[in-house]
Amino acid sequence: MKVEPLLRIDGISKRFGGNQAVDHVSFDVPHGIILGLIGPNGSGKTTVLNMLSGELFPDEGITYLEGSPITRLSPSQLAHLGVIRMFQMTRVFGRLSAFDNLLIAGRAMGLTAAEASTRAQSLVQELTLEHVQYLDAGQLSGGQKKLLEFGMCFMCPPKIALLDEPFAAVHPVMRETMSRFIQSRNQSGQTFLLVSHDMPIVKSLCHESICMNTGKIISQGPTRSVLEDPNVIEAYLGGDNE
Amino acid sequence: MSQIENLWSRRLARDLKCLLLLCALMCFVPLLDLSPYTLGILIVGFYFALMALAWNLLAGFTGQFSMAPAAFAMIGGYFTALLNFHLGATLWIGIPAAIIGSALLGFLLGATVLRLKGPYLSLTTLAFAEIARVFIGNSHEFTRGDQGLNVPTLMDDRIAYYYFFLALVILMGSLIFLLMRSKYGGYLLAIRDDADAAESRGIPVVRFKLLAFTISSAMCGFAGCMYGTFSQLVSPEMGLLQQTGLIISMVVIGGIGSITGPVLGALLVYLSSEWLRDIGNIQLIVFALLVMIFARFFRTGLWGIFLEIYARLKSKKHN
Amino acid sequence: MGLFYALMAVGLAMIFGILRIVNFAHGEFFMVGAYAYALTAMKLGINPWVALVLAAVGGAFLGIIIEKLLMRPLYQGYASWSIVKDEYAVVVTFALSLFLIHFVDKVVGPSPFMGPSLMSTQRIAIGPIMLNGQKIISAGISISLLCGLALFIKKSLWGRQIQAVAQNRFGSSLAGIDPVKTTSIIFAISGMLAALSGALMAPLMNPAPDIGSFPAIKSFIIVVLGGIGSIWGSMFAALLLGVSESFFAVYISYDYRDAFGLFILVAVLIFRPHGLAGQKGRGA
Repeated sequence: MKVEPLLRIDGISKRFGGNQAVDHVSFDVPHGIILGLIGPNGSGKTTVLNMLSGELFPDEGITYLEGSPITRLSPSQLAHLGVIRMFQMTRVFGRLSAFDNLLIAGRAMGLTAAEASTRAQSLVQELTLEHVQYLDAGQLSGGQKKLLEFGMCFMCPPKIALLDEPFAAVHPVMRETMSRFIQSRNQSGQTFLLVSHDMPIVKSLCHESICMNTGKIISQGPTRSVLEDPNVIEAYLGGDNE
Repeated sequence: MSQIENLWSRRLARDLKCLLLLCALMCFVPLLDLSPYTLGILIVGFYFALMALAWNLLAGFTGQFSMAPAAFAMIGGYFTALLNFHLGATLWIGIPAAIIGSALLGFLLGATVLRLKGPYLSLTTLAFAEIARVFIGNSHEFTRGDQGLNVPTLMDDRIAYYYFFLALVILMGSLIFLLMRSKYGGYLLAIRDDADAAESRGIPVVRFKLLAFTISSAMCGFAGCMYGTFSQLVSPEMGLLQQTGLIISMVVIGGIGSITGPVLGALLVYLSSEWLRDIGNIQLIVFALLVMIFARFFRTGLWGIFLEIYARLKSKKHN
Repeated sequence: MGLFYALMAVGLAMIFGILRIVNFAHGEFFMVGAYAYALTAMKLGINPWVALVLAAVGGAFLGIIIEKLLMRPLYQGYASWSIVKDEYAVVVTFALSLFLIHFVDKVVGPSPFMGPSLMSTQRIAIGPIMLNGQKIISAGISISLLCGLALFIKKSLWGRQIQAVAQNRFGSSLAGIDPVKTTSIIFAISGMLAALSGALMAPLMNPAPDIGSFPAIKSFIIVVLGGIGSIWGSMFAALLLGVSESFFAVYISYDYRDAFGLFILVAVLIFRPHGLAGQKGRGA
């Protein structure tokens, strides 16, 4: 086991106007883990993700990738370093064929044309997209687009994949395919950070979890214990007093 | 047509083949013994083809709907003319100057509009175009204002000029083909479809937006300079918004997002504009109307319609 | 001058701010209004005040037609269109503007005539200042219209629907408001205001088909300056622009007067994309 965590987040904060969205959050992401980031709406988890993927810069604090600071890098720079992000609202290149989408993603990460083509073909198989691979990406169904986006992110296996509510509004069959994909990749050592509302998925996929509320971490550790933590339950239920 | 024909590399290949076919046809036109006036119209049509190609690169392939192409043509032409007028510079200096000068200004404009989306980008480029035109038109000391400036010519024979411009169209079209076939072309298309997603996939969006702007502006400047050598005059009228409107019409009608489309559109629109002008000056009315109809109902333009027909014919042959 | 700008700009602000659609043809509403007023008043000999109303109605009507024919794809959920929405608006309204300009040029002809004033007295002297009667009345009408509009939006049923749609298009449709109809209304109002503005200005200018271009550009400048989505901001910016422009023209350079406005536009777009008073759109 490597001692240095893959990703170290150290005291990051973000304020929007009068709202402290993220308040001195620190945690480590060890190699090879599937880490869940949960919390009620407005808890700041998406903001944390945005700061990790370069969409936002933290007001204070530092993030480290394998020991090197990556706090103020752009999304494309981060992508080249191996930090890949999937969006909540699926984003593909609509007027190009699905296969072209994969090719471009691969070339952008530095693959040659031949490598990209081979990799794309195998991904198309793995993601069961053979019958739509030559259609314009914009014509794919929502679930197929999501799978395509998965494919694009994994043309070059990243060091860490940041997934933002990937299972939201997705067909149960698709969920299966996506879960299997995540698990099989994880078995080869792929690290994931997963933001999700879906408790069953989090329970089944994530080894460990972090729960946030109002910008702070209120619980972290093995998923089971986090989900049973009274603080977490209270946060989700809105702080009912018994 | 089987689905695999939708692959970008195949689409582009079809595109280039059609362009070359079109240009091959145009090779035979001078054999029809046309009047110098008609030849002149065709040559200006080729000028617009170059402009259409340049604007499509920026708008159709990269998604940046600039309102400044005509302004850059004017700027390019003026670079050459001014160097000739004030310093007696020959075209050997004037032409590269036009290209480099336009590229530089294009780069600056591109940098200015980097963070702007859709309509804001159009507004800003529009403002730039108008400011440039007003500036050139009003600087009587420097540019002789509305009177325009003379430009030395490249050759005297009109037919030679025809083939020269035709060769330029083939050259530009091929260069764009090579660019769009490479991975950089893919980056531009990705930026067009979703710039934020492109960034997340590892494409340095800023760099490529600037590249597209620079190349497109340089092309426009070059075209303007070439036009100047042909007409032997450049004036602020080259940069009128109306001209940009014409270019946009050509691309939209011809087929935005392709290589043959803009060229086809340019030739058809310009030729018909001469014809319509004879009828009674209704050319802009007709074109504007066509643009609205095409944009609303035939987004892929004539090129798209042609592809549809071709696809249907091919599937009929299979059955 | 500022008030004229305000009248026109508010219409644009509504379309731009609420619908997030850029309407390059806005200037042509102005022009149509001016022509409608001048033509009906002169050729048909109708009372100028009535002609004014006709112009306004005509503007509204034109707005509705345009919305119906051209604008639907922007929000009717044409799935594959969603990528090109903004650019479509740009291209289509630009084409529309060219079309209207040249169509009117062709149909009506560039014959120079000026619309009749609303009042018989041309000049009124108030103290040491010579004022133009037409301008005063127009100013008065503008102010009352702007106030009326503000009240309308705040109080009337339609007005509140507009506010709802402005804040959340989807949500308001769930609440039973028909966004399409509301959009039509917005276009109608926008067209009406611009046309009215044109009609009021008609007696003061030589009508030509392209008189709409400059006011349109000014409107854009104002809307951006005042901030997208803020109607009060636009009004304020309009006055600001009118005053500073005159200043600039007198003290610095007359020729470049219009370019001045463009400079401001570019500067604002670069440095303060949210204008002076606008709201932060979700990626406007």
